Amino acid sequence: MREISVTVNGRARKRMIKDNELLLDFLREKLEVRSVKAACWRGECGLCTVLLDGQLVKSCLVLAVEADGREVKTVEGIADDGGLAPIQSAFVSHGAAQCGFCTPAWVLATHELLMSNPHPSDADLVEATSGLVCRCGTYNQIREAVAEVSATRARRQPKESLARAHR
Amino acid sequence: MSFGSPYTTLPDFEYHRPTSLDEALALLKQYGDEAKLMGGGVGLIAFMKERLMSPAHVIDVKEVKELKMLDNAPGKGLSIGSAVTLSELLEGGVLKRDYTVLHEALARVADPMIRRRATLVGNLCEAIPWVDSPPALIALDATVAVAGPDGRRKVPVSGFIRGPVDIDLGPSEMVTAVDIPQAKGAHSAFEKFTGGSEFSLASVAVMVSNGEKNRLARVVYGSVNSTPFRSVEVEEAIRDGITPGSVRKAADLASEKVECVDDVLATAAYRKHLLKVITTKVLRRMMSQ
Repeated sequence: MREISVTVNGRARKRMIKDNELLLDFLREKLEVRSVKAACWRGECGLCTVLLDGQLVKSCLVLAVEADGREVKTVEGIADDGGLAPIQSAFVSHGAAQCGFCTPAWVLATHELLMSNPHPSDADLVEATSGLVCRCGTYNQIREAVAEVSATRARRQPKESLARAHR
Repeated sequence: MSFGSPYTTLPDFEYHRPTSLDEALALLKQYGDEAKLMGGGVGLIAFMKERLMSPAHVIDVKEVKELKMLDNAPGKGLSIGSAVTLSELLEGGVLKRDYTVLHEALARVADPMIRRRATLVGNLCEAIPWVDSPPALIALDATVAVAGPDGRRKVPVSGFIRGPVDIDLGPSEMVTAVDIPQAKGAHSAFEKFTGGSEFSLASVAVMVSNGEKNRLARVVYGSVNSTPFRSVEVEEAIRDGITPGSVRKAADLASEKVECVDDVLATAAYRKHLLKVITTKVLRRMMSQ
């Protein structure tokens, strides 16, 4: 057993762990972050995806001890002030969740994609989320939700620059 | 919830995170057979869940600074440290420009999240017959740099892979890097067929270089037998140029001369057919470029 300290969604958390514990179990069982889903356990479904120091990784393939001293972000940590991030609102308006089991991972992955690439093409979206599955098959609705966030940003940006030009 | 199933838990082990090569080698010397090296862990963690491996010690080399190096010295070629991830390799433009065959092979490995963790050396050392990096590395004439208690040595990738899950590496040795010679004026490409499976049923890596004296061609097939196979017959067929005629000849020779095995993924007869298809595909693409 050893003690590790991990910053999860901005909050430092300390727990005793065994060396053979997975980050997935640490988050779900020790910290009760239940948005991180356990499904295939072998890196195929991607539903245990989290951000580890800003990088999307599958937490069933990461040891908890590897996260010691590092930062983990899950879907609970993407919006400010307890509100919804734009992609979360878009998921709601497009019905991009059916059973909802995979939704936290998809929201996290598409949110990250839109942060690094504000206007992803369909090919960008397919590539970025190729490690995730949705067994309800809401891929079309997810694509629409991503397209809406992308389009909203495209409309806003020229307006802002116009406003600046008039100032 | 781990449901108590062995497939969701890992066997007990002690975790080590050395930060220097000396420290990593000292741990390996101390624990030898009892230890397993971990790069990205995507292979090792999966194998441990299946209880195919139950090491008493896991030595994580991700923080070993000497192994994080990715060198591209002019005239010297590319040196890829064993802690360099597939994403790090793919992000730099150098792979796409000068080592296209490796770029094409790695860009289609698993998915971006796995590629952020997985390392080239880890992929190579698994020596699973269906993985894609070995044929590409052999086509590029890459060598493996090994360090151990008796010093350092270099082995060509073709000799390093001895068989399925069998590599030329002692219990106290570790791979520090993969070195790829610079190939001026080289032209290379990779093609595979997965049929929707997570593994390749057949793959081909081709490199053609226009040397001043003789034109060099390397054609390596993967996933059809226990180790990657270099076909001199196919190489001979395209040595004088990739033309519609030589492509047809090469595709027929690939199907005829490359030995294939029956296994859980495909029959040998189906693989023979796939060899013809992927050889045609990869060479036609190179012809039009």
